[in-house]
Amino acid sequence: MAPALEPGAPSDFELMKGIQAGDADALSQLYDRYNGILKALILRVIHNEAEADDLLQEIFMEIWNQAKNFSEQKGKPLGWMVTLARRRAIDGLRKKQAYARAEERLQNETEQQPEAWVHNATEEEIVLGDTRVLIRKVISSLPPAQQQAIDLAFFRGMSQREIAAKTNTPLGTVKTRLELGLKKIYDGLKDLKDEL
Amino acid sequence: MNFEQFQNQSRLYVIGALDPEELEQFEQAREKFGKKAEDFISKCYALHEAFALSLRPAKSSDAIKERLMAMVKAKKQS
Repeated sequence: MAPALEPGAPSDFELMKGIQAGDADALSQLYDRYNGILKALILRVIHNEAEADDLLQEIFMEIWNQAKNFSEQKGKPLGWMVTLARRRAIDGLRKKQAYARAEERLQNETEQQPEAWVHNATEEEIVLGDTRVLIRKVISSLPPAQQQAIDLAFFRGMSQREIAAKTNTPLGTVKTRLELGLKKIYDGLKDLKDEL
Repeated sequence: MNFEQFQNQSRLYVIGALDPEELEQFEQAREKFGKKAEDFISKCYALHEAFALSLRPAKSSDAIKERLMAMVKAKKQS
């Protein structure tokens, strides 16, 4: 599901093996390939450009330090990196005083003009037939309430009870929205894999 | 909990949305279903990758990479 690579470029698995062997150039290539995606993920959680940059650097350092714990059997490198980055970003959000500020910013955004999770694809992305466009299509096909519930759970680290409180929605409704939304995305990804 | 319910809970589990009491029941079912459960949970982590790819990539400063590579170099030398 990762973005298409240039012909002859090393795969993510090859780069991870390089990092495990202490090859700094492999880390450099992995950084070039995924810093934009990981930065976007961190920004979605903490809503602060400077803090996101610092955290991005820390996360790639952790990738370097923890590469020995990565196993091909457990999944793909990007999935492993995203899980690591999300955990660090949510931990950072909870620990720092920035939590209150980010909460306030999120509240303002929600009240004024909710920031859409998925955006329309740019012309360049459509021309490239980017996998990301297809994923966005799957997500944007969900009803807004399901998107919001998943957004708050995944990018804000909220439990179902917290989402219910934040959105003034009955807990049972939040559970249903999350279950239905995640199932649709999961099934959509399976179809996507079959197509690719 | 039957396996279909376990699948629903697994998707919530990987995004960290299970409440504590649900987590306890989930862990019991996970043990009951064994390898089949572990295989399914692994597949659910594809959701993480998809959510990250759904975002438009953000630009980071060139200085971040320079600092990172300098730290890696220093660590290798230590």
